[in-house]
Amino acid sequence: MRAPAIRAIGLLSGWGKGAAALPLDASRAAGGRPVLAVERPSLDPDRFRRSRRECLMGVAAVGAMLEDAGTGPEAIAGERTALLFATAAAYAPSNREFIEARGGSMYFPYTAVAAVPAEVAIEFGLTGPYEILVGGAPATMRAIARAAALLEMGACDRALVLAVEVFDECADLFESLRPRFDGPLVEAAACLWLEPGEGTLTFERGRGLRNGGSVRRRVGEMLACEPLAALALAGESAGHEAMQVQGSWRGETARLEWSSTPYRTRPRAA
Amino acid sequence: MSGPHPLSEPERIAVSAAGVVTPIGQDLDTFWSGLLTGAEGISPIERFPVADLRVGQGGEIKKLTRAVDWRRVPDCRATRLLVSAADDLCVQAGARSLDAEPERLAVVVGTALGGVEEGERALRGSPRRLGRALYDAPGHGLARWLGARGPVVTVSTACASGATALGIGAEMLRRGEADAVVAGGYDILCRFVMRGFDGLRSLTRDRVRPFDRRRSGLLLGEGAALLLLRREREAGPRRLGTLLGYGSASDAAHIAAPDSQGRGIERAIRAALAEARMDAADIDFVSAHGTATPLNDPIEAAALRRVLGARGAAVPVNSIKGAFGHAMGAAAAIEAIVCLLAGRHGQIPATLGLEERDGACDIDCVQGMPRAVRPRISLSTSLGFGGCNAALVIESA
Repeated sequence: MRAPAIRAIGLLSGWGKGAAALPLDASRAAGGRPVLAVERPSLDPDRFRRSRRECLMGVAAVGAMLEDAGTGPEAIAGERTALLFATAAAYAPSNREFIEARGGSMYFPYTAVAAVPAEVAIEFGLTGPYEILVGGAPATMRAIARAAALLEMGACDRALVLAVEVFDECADLFESLRPRFDGPLVEAAACLWLEPGEGTLTFERGRGLRNGGSVRRRVGEMLACEPLAALALAGESAGHEAMQVQGSWRGETARLEWSSTPYRTRPRAA
Repeated sequence: MSGPHPLSEPERIAVSAAGVVTPIGQDLDTFWSGLLTGAEGISPIERFPVADLRVGQGGEIKKLTRAVDWRRVPDCRATRLLVSAADDLCVQAGARSLDAEPERLAVVVGTALGGVEEGERALRGSPRRLGRALYDAPGHGLARWLGARGPVVTVSTACASGATALGIGAEMLRRGEADAVVAGGYDILCRFVMRGFDGLRSLTRDRVRPFDRRRSGLLLGEGAALLLLRREREAGPRRLGTLLGYGSASDAAHIAAPDSQGRGIERAIRAALAEARMDAADIDFVSAHGTATPLNDPIEAAALRRVLGARGAAVPVNSIKGAFGHAMGAAAAIEAIVCLLAGRHGQIPATLGLEERDGACDIDCVQGMPRAVRPRISLSTSLGFGGCNAALVIESA
């Protein structure tokens, strides 16, 4: 399929803001901490009075993306912007809270996976195509491929691929799933701005594909946010042409390959 | 509004077979005859405590009756609903293997709740269930049961999830990522969701009355519905119909309520029509979301009137939510099957619970008894929490 160009990336993680904050070795940098959390972003307390931390992280990631693009919200508002959201577990804290009967019924809508992209769509006025995938890194990569397809068929002029993962409120529960994870759990929220580009994008997945895991070793376990962190890191290094991102979840590895650089302008720091 | 059409016509996607499990039938034939005869799928909930809730009834499946070797299936109700629907689909398809190489058989399912009940059980002291609480676990359970080794995708656009799954499954075939896709939706009735909707005062103590002036809310149901999708040129002569178009749109208005003007569902419908290369004039039947909440029905009816234009009052519309409640992530996939079967059998099921039409819902609701019409092209609409909207355009064989 025709490759989308990357206009901008916003990344917030337990390591800090942007790709520059990411360490070289997550386990070493974590120093034994099992979870690296993101503080609740300080956004309008009235507008977001009921919103959960993961929703605010999504909104803040889009804000960081706009900052990276050097433009304002008006550039993405409207029905010609698609929003694709991916997460493996961002709903876990809200679900737990509701199961344990903390918080009132008015918070029930925030237990939906759709709560995070809904807050983002409301905040930025995004009324175009809208899809939500659940899973780890391959879900985000599929969302990127799906965004490319929507751009190619003319269903939108730009597509935002958003991923959010939170772990702190359920750290004890995730501890029991620890054998499934490599390294520390690192909370993150990231948003990718895609536009029609040049060259081709190949998306493949399979159970036999090898996943080098180098990005995961570097940034820690970010689940659905990992491919976007990888793209933010790749955007920092100059001179690359074809580029590849891969990630795995539940025994499946997915790979995205751009035939030429997807970065439209200079290599950028997120 | 929906943007330019693609340069080339998208490849047509055939629906080769379908399978369902619902409170009114655990196979396609029983489900369909139940809809036509007005079978009542609403009953007092027995599987979990509801005494502390305002409303304790819903569309509960009392017992899974399909002859499945349940020892091979995890003790997770969501997975078991999916496997029940898949077992029916395999019977309908006439082949246990679904006639595809395992690596080329994909699974795409939509859900609002995933395995949340497993989370409830894990937090009550069964921590080994925790892995199943992740929302994509039941989809993987279904893939294992089917022997599918192709892509396994879970989508969660709330109560529009089943439609999103069908749209993404179709796209997967067009891109050559699989040769056959088992796509659809599921959700279970559990205490988590009953508490949530009960607390929001969304549930009715009356019956579910879509598009009725006395409507006072929805009731929840459970179920699963799966469709076997193939590229039309490879599908063979045996098929239920064709999935012609899919569209989605965000409301960007409210975390739980639909946009007051229905602009999101209107955009989704127009996008689905654009993908199908159809105009509103081509639509013979609308299977509406029709939840029977005071808010949803007039908004949806007004959006349909805008899209259908002059024909708005003449195109038959129904909602099946009076029969067994709102099956959430399963609803859109079940309603897609209703579109296909209406065309096959030449009957549109009546809107159970509708007795006194609301003047604010100025559409031609099928009321009282099934209507003898054979729709060729149908539209299915879905709305969900988080401003999720999706629409499907479906052609019956």
